[in-house]
Amino acid sequence: MTVFRENKLFAFYTGLVVLIVLLAIFAPYLAPQDPMAGNMKLVLQTPSAEHFLGTDKLGRDIFSRILCGTQISLFMALCLVALIAMVGTLVGVLAGFFGGWLETILMRFADMMLAFPGIVLAIAIAGILGGSVINTILALLVVSWAKYARLVRSLVLRLRNQDFIQAAKIQGAKTSSILWRHILPNVMPMVVITGAMDIGTMMMEIAGLSFLGFGAQPPTPEWGLMLNEGRQYIQTAPWLMIYPGLAIFIVVAIFNLWGDSLRDVLDPRQE
Amino acid sequence: MFEMKMFNTKKLWKAVSLGLCGAVLTVMLAGCGADNSSSADKGVLKVGVTNFADTLEPTQNFFGWVVMRYGLGECLTKFDDKMNVQPWLAESWSISDDHMTWTFKIREGVKFSNGNPLTAEAVKASIERAFAKNNRAATFFKYKEIKAEGQVLTIVTEKPMPNMPGFLADPLFIIVDTSAEGSRDFAKEGPICTGPYMVESFVKEKAVMKKNPNYWDGEVPFETVEIPSIDDPNTRAMALQSGEVDMAVNIAAGDMDTFRGNDKFFVDEISSLRTVLARLNHKGILKDDKVRAALICGCDRETYNNVLLKGTFLPGKAPVPPSMDYGFDQLTDPNAYNPERAAKLLDEAGWKDTNGDGIRDKDGQPLKLDFVVYNSRAELPLYAEAVQSDLKKLGFDINIKTVDYNLVDQMGIKGEYDLLISNITTANTGDPEIFLSWYWKTNNNGDNPQNGSGYSNPALDAKFNELAAEFDKSKRRQLIIDIQQILLNDGAALFLGYPQTNIISNKVLSGVKMYPSDYYWITSLIKPAK
Repeated sequence: MTVFRENKLFAFYTGLVVLIVLLAIFAPYLAPQDPMAGNMKLVLQTPSAEHFLGTDKLGRDIFSRILCGTQISLFMALCLVALIAMVGTLVGVLAGFFGGWLETILMRFADMMLAFPGIVLAIAIAGILGGSVINTILALLVVSWAKYARLVRSLVLRLRNQDFIQAAKIQGAKTSSILWRHILPNVMPMVVITGAMDIGTMMMEIAGLSFLGFGAQPPTPEWGLMLNEGRQYIQTAPWLMIYPGLAIFIVVAIFNLWGDSLRDVLDPRQE
Repeated sequence: MFEMKMFNTKKLWKAVSLGLCGAVLTVMLAGCGADNSSSADKGVLKVGVTNFADTLEPTQNFFGWVVMRYGLGECLTKFDDKMNVQPWLAESWSISDDHMTWTFKIREGVKFSNGNPLTAEAVKASIERAFAKNNRAATFFKYKEIKAEGQVLTIVTEKPMPNMPGFLADPLFIIVDTSAEGSRDFAKEGPICTGPYMVESFVKEKAVMKKNPNYWDGEVPFETVEIPSIDDPNTRAMALQSGEVDMAVNIAAGDMDTFRGNDKFFVDEISSLRTVLARLNHKGILKDDKVRAALICGCDRETYNNVLLKGTFLPGKAPVPPSMDYGFDQLTDPNAYNPERAAKLLDEAGWKDTNGDGIRDKDGQPLKLDFVVYNSRAELPLYAEAVQSDLKKLGFDINIKTVDYNLVDQMGIKGEYDLLISNITTANTGDPEIFLSWYWKTNNNGDNPQNGSGYSNPALDAKFNELAAEFDKSKRRQLIIDIQQILLNDGAALFLGYPQTNIISNKVLSGVKMYPSDYYWITSLIKPAK
């Protein structure tokens, strides 16, 4: 709790993040109407008392859809970041700690992945696999893990020759326990910070792929997909794009600010 | 050190957000104040189109359509705004008493854009070229012999071909100067034809046309026609609003309101010859007549067309749209919208929701269907989602599979779908016979490849055989009505709606007109107003 008391800003952003998470969890109960089923007689209604943010092209309540979209976007982004961090850390630790040919292979492969323009490769992969939530996550995983691998490897390289590791080795500690008890805990803070700062970016990329038709498929209430659906009506019913866009903006901004302030709290350089 | 860095980050944040705000504002202002500097009066016509053609070779795929739409190619005959066949490069025609020999009189004094005269010999060479290069030609008619003598062309067919003049209006039979082919690559540089404009340069994204100095039918109004391909319908609408183009085709439902009743624009909106339908695969779950019937009568097609698409489409019922006189009103659809009946039919067929997940199942198999959709026409995904939403209420799980347009044709032929959306022109020869037989005549080991659905009805095939040899107009009409009724009774497909099609022009132009056949966009009648 002292962390919060000393970092007012971090406490504030954490509060907002918790609020978003709660909204996501309870979205199905909070949504005033079914986000999937609409009244086709009442399409493209302007925002009113009954439909807080208007209705979309199939007469579905946009407010309910955005609310339920929080769940999907957040779930996808968190899954993705967790997966990337895990894969990247694993590769980075192995490469950094063992060195030799293993490092050469893993790191050259990572370099290769970094040489591609990420989002373009992701579009290609998602396009080949076919549009779905799982495939989007896979595609973004494939293009994003390399950054973490490089980061973790360089941290491990620095740690590997430090005295406490040498001491553990001399004491006869097993390699697995060195990795688990000494290397990993020292690497984790950086990974967590990078991960937290990436949540927003990943949300944007997921929404981007959905917007292009490679991510969530209709009738899923996903923000990027909603933007795409609203595109046709940008001139006649702009609220179809404004509110999902606003939702993306707000949530991404909150996660970015939170990631920033988390870094301020966790970054060892600050001390 | 770190404080310093924080400060920079903050500064950067501010700069970025300020920059973004500025950019947004600029865009908005630019959007509002778009000047309407039209180019029509400077001898340049700019037309926003959708283009599917990679080359201008008229015998490749359906690329001939584009050759004709761009004001480049012309046929012996053409369709008027009621789909009647009219003379074009042929002045007149007649048929022999045995119904096997057609004689066409080729118009005198017509020249190709390179100055070569249009003779019957040239027409013969061009038609033979179409047959040699594209096997779709033989699906229209098969000939025994083509003879050319001066300006008289004689075609002897193998079988009686009642609709010959209509067939020759198909853009596949655009008349090209085959003698020019040696020195010119038709695919890249465009063919030599007789239309008002000729190709200066062509890539898929943009065509530039020049005035044809040898045009036969009056003065050509523009020196240059620029035809950017703007495939996204909203972008096309905005290009028209901003004055970037002077006219545009196929503005989507969502944007129509901005043009209707706007006195800067002229809107020509007509019922097209197209039908939007979902082909139903008769091999999987939809083999069961009752399930098909339930699926069809579970879809509220009135609402889709009148409300969701704002009346830019007419509600679907039968294969042939009401814009053509083939008995639309006298046909009865046994599967008109009736969700209660649909639910009952599914119960009778043994599909019940036994595990309470909202999806019906039978013998452990869920009632799950793949609906294959492509996006290049704005209305198609909307129909698919509306169907998905309506059928969800009945306990269907419809999985929308969005694929690229280029894959759709093959998927249709191979039958890789449960439902497959299509937007099909029903009468590109002035008569729906080919459309109907392509998709529903029995396919015996690939002899009718377009019917990949597995649908087969001997009674229907008999009607098709009768129709193929019938010359009498009213009997043909009756046969086509019978065929449609059989298809409706069998629940052969889900007919979703009939598009209105439109062409919208800035009022700096006059003479812009949409034809039901959708072949003639740029004509010599389009002139600067005044």
